Amino acid sequence: MPMYQVKPVSPGDIKIDLPTCMYKLPNIHAQGMNCSEHALQNGEVDPALKALEDRQDEVLRRLYELKTMVDGLTKTVSTPDADLDATTLSHAPAESVFRGTADLDSLLGKDLGALRDIVINANPARPPLSLLVLHGLLCQRYQVLSSVHLHSSVSAVPSPLMSCLGPRHIDSYARHRFQLGFTLIWKDVSKLQMKFSTQNMCPIEGEANVARFLFRLLGAEPQDPVAATQMDSWIDTAVFQLAEGGNKERAAVLRSLNGALGRSPWLLGQEFSLADVVCACCVLQAGQTASAPANVQRWLKSCQNLGHFDCVYPLLQ
Amino acid sequence: MTKENVQGAGEEEQQAQSKKALKKQQKEAEKAAKKAEKQAKLATEQQEADEDDFAKDRYGICPMVQSQQKLDRALVRVQDLTPEKAEQQIWVRARIHTSRAKGKQCFLVLRHQQSTVQALIAVGDRASKQMVKFAANLTKESIIDVEAVVKKVEQKIESCSQQDVELHVERIFVISQSEARLPLQLEDAVRPEGEGDEEGRATVNQDTRLDNRVIDLRTTTSQAIFRLQSGVCQLFRDTLINKGFVEIQTPKIISAASEGGANVFTVSYFKTSAYLAQSPQLYKQMCICADFDKVFCVGPVFRAEDSNTHRHLTEFVGLDIEMAFNYHYHEVIDSITDTMVQIFKGLRDRFQTEIQTVNKQYPSEPFKFLEPTLRLEYKEGVAMLRAAGVEMGDEEDLSTPNEKLLGRLVKEKYDTDFYVLDKYPLAVRPFYTMPDPNNPKYSNSYDMFMRGEEILSGAQRVHDAQLLTERAMHHGIDLEKIKAYIDSFRYGAPPHAGGGIGLERVTMLYLGLHNVRQTSMFPRDPKRLTP
Repeated sequence: MPMYQVKPVSPGDIKIDLPTCMYKLPNIHAQGMNCSEHALQNGEVDPALKALEDRQDEVLRRLYELKTMVDGLTKTVSTPDADLDATTLSHAPAESVFRGTADLDSLLGKDLGALRDIVINANPARPPLSLLVLHGLLCQRYQVLSSVHLHSSVSAVPSPLMSCLGPRHIDSYARHRFQLGFTLIWKDVSKLQMKFSTQNMCPIEGEANVARFLFRLLGAEPQDPVAATQMDSWIDTAVFQLAEGGNKERAAVLRSLNGALGRSPWLLGQEFSLADVVCACCVLQAGQTASAPANVQRWLKSCQNLGHFDCVYPLLQ
Repeated sequence: MTKENVQGAGEEEQQAQSKKALKKQQKEAEKAAKKAEKQAKLATEQQEADEDDFAKDRYGICPMVQSQQKLDRALVRVQDLTPEKAEQQIWVRARIHTSRAKGKQCFLVLRHQQSTVQALIAVGDRASKQMVKFAANLTKESIIDVEAVVKKVEQKIESCSQQDVELHVERIFVISQSEARLPLQLEDAVRPEGEGDEEGRATVNQDTRLDNRVIDLRTTTSQAIFRLQSGVCQLFRDTLINKGFVEIQTPKIISAASEGGANVFTVSYFKTSAYLAQSPQLYKQMCICADFDKVFCVGPVFRAEDSNTHRHLTEFVGLDIEMAFNYHYHEVIDSITDTMVQIFKGLRDRFQTEIQTVNKQYPSEPFKFLEPTLRLEYKEGVAMLRAAGVEMGDEEDLSTPNEKLLGRLVKEKYDTDFYVLDKYPLAVRPFYTMPDPNNPKYSNSYDMFMRGEEILSGAQRVHDAQLLTERAMHHGIDLEKIKAYIDSFRYGAPPHAGGGIGLERVTMLYLGLHNVRQTSMFPRDPKRLTP
């Protein structure tokens, strides 16, 4: 209803010098303080109290949000390369860290219209942890049909080994819908073995070599020959001195890992690579991670935060 | 003239006669003398024998066991003769496997089923010379009862199965004597082929074995094979019963040939004729339509195929499975392959002795398998064959040499002797096979292979009467002949699938043998009808 407006006679913020000879009364225009007392005496819930509660809740909620943001940021700061969205902290595996491209046809031979199945024969006494990590990475890039079999040369294995590749894919009854097959067979073999195309390829032996082959399928091999050589060198160190060496050798490797990790977040510098996968798996398998040097422990935590190593932890004794 | 001549002739004759007679008499006298001598000798020998034979009542040929008396005597089995029984006096019933006499001793090898033990009869205070002679003259394969003391030996007796003990015989009686000439020698029947050729010793060829099956089945190898086969059957039954299957028996005299009709035996049936069942397929399916859900049956299968191969018989034992499933026929494949894996595991864990015995005569690689069973698609198999240089069309059936080659390729890559090939082309399967819903050129059918040879052919069956009629017409089958079959699907039929294996073929392939007649007790093929 349009009424005429009267300009305010006096501004609300005039400073008044209050005489000190008078006694003071509490401000009756403050937010519902007296009213609440009345309300309590009457037995009703004071809306002002409710509003206060609501304000308190609001503040707490914003505090919590801030806290989670800070948590996320700390993780991001301590784990370079991770692509975590700070406000969505779910436990789903991280996005693929490898964004290279690989030509499956050139690596695996011409597609003959059937599933290309990679067969890995491993001894259940020495599960190939780095290959499980690589399997996880492959599943993010390609449609992989994974299966685990028990060979007749072994009478039984503990159930975590039979489910180490994760739950069966819903579409696993239709093999032709997948690009790659990853078949892990627990068998009584002396050395881990990979077979792919028996007519054109001889079997690849040794966990490190199979890891190199699978890494190539991700298209993430370092192009720089120096980095590639360093990667190979770290892998060999891990496999020969850390996994198979005596206590002294292992301690020496941990010291050199510590040194390298003091200079950069990952072994090859700023990028996560196969060297980190293999070395971390060897360190975890050797046990005694609690007594490892500080940089190594921090690096292991970063690996864990990436989410790719989740499949490995249930298999560590 | 004549009289004199006659007289003279007569005299001459008489003289001649008397000469002859004399000679005759002389000869007879000699003969008599010899006879008398001999008799006298025998008499003296007999006297000697009777004199010295203090062990007369400790050996001999028993009268035929007509259940004259019920002896409460415990007979120990040869396989239970171990050092724990040392110094015990026990009775054993066994066959004479071999006997060897050396002066005052006679070594017998006694055999019972798969076990052999050495027994010794020596002239001493318990056995006389006559007894040793008696034992040495016993024919091989005779069944004897022996009372003996079990003795430990310092040196292992390599040639026997019971290597740590020996029997010292006190009494020996023959229960059933064998004829002296055996149609085949058991050592020859157990000798490996190669060894026979090398050392120039005899081996027995298959026809002789099959003609004298009763003796051939006594060999340790045959005993092992058929015990293992019994194990296969038992494991099949036990595994399926545990999975909730029901055992059924289907009729073998049927009115119409269900599959094609070319390879059936005809029998005269009162005023008409009937056929011997080629497979229990029709009746298994009817049981599924009758709500039995999961059935299996063990029974004879008759195929009138004139194939004289190493793996075909005209009559064999079929182990058949049929199962209703919920949504996908892979549920049935998983069930069947799990049953096969349980059978293989059972044989691996409980029948090692038998497997080793068979390997001694027929060496082979141990059988390998994966759990869960490897399942490849037909396209993958074709791709593997093409990679190995075989040219074949996408919808072509696998020939036997290609099947064997694929088996070798799969063995090389996956190291398994047992696998499933899924999604065969529709064109090469029978009319009741369900076509693939996504690709009309393929079907929901599968084959299972052991050591590269097919042991099971199965599929999801068409359970819709109309589709079944269409498929039958497409294959040019006379609908009148299969009317009863199609009718069973008209009143609500669950989706189902199944397959069947041949007991003899599975045993043969598991042990790595090369001829199915070795695993069939009394085999039937186009050329053999007895024993």
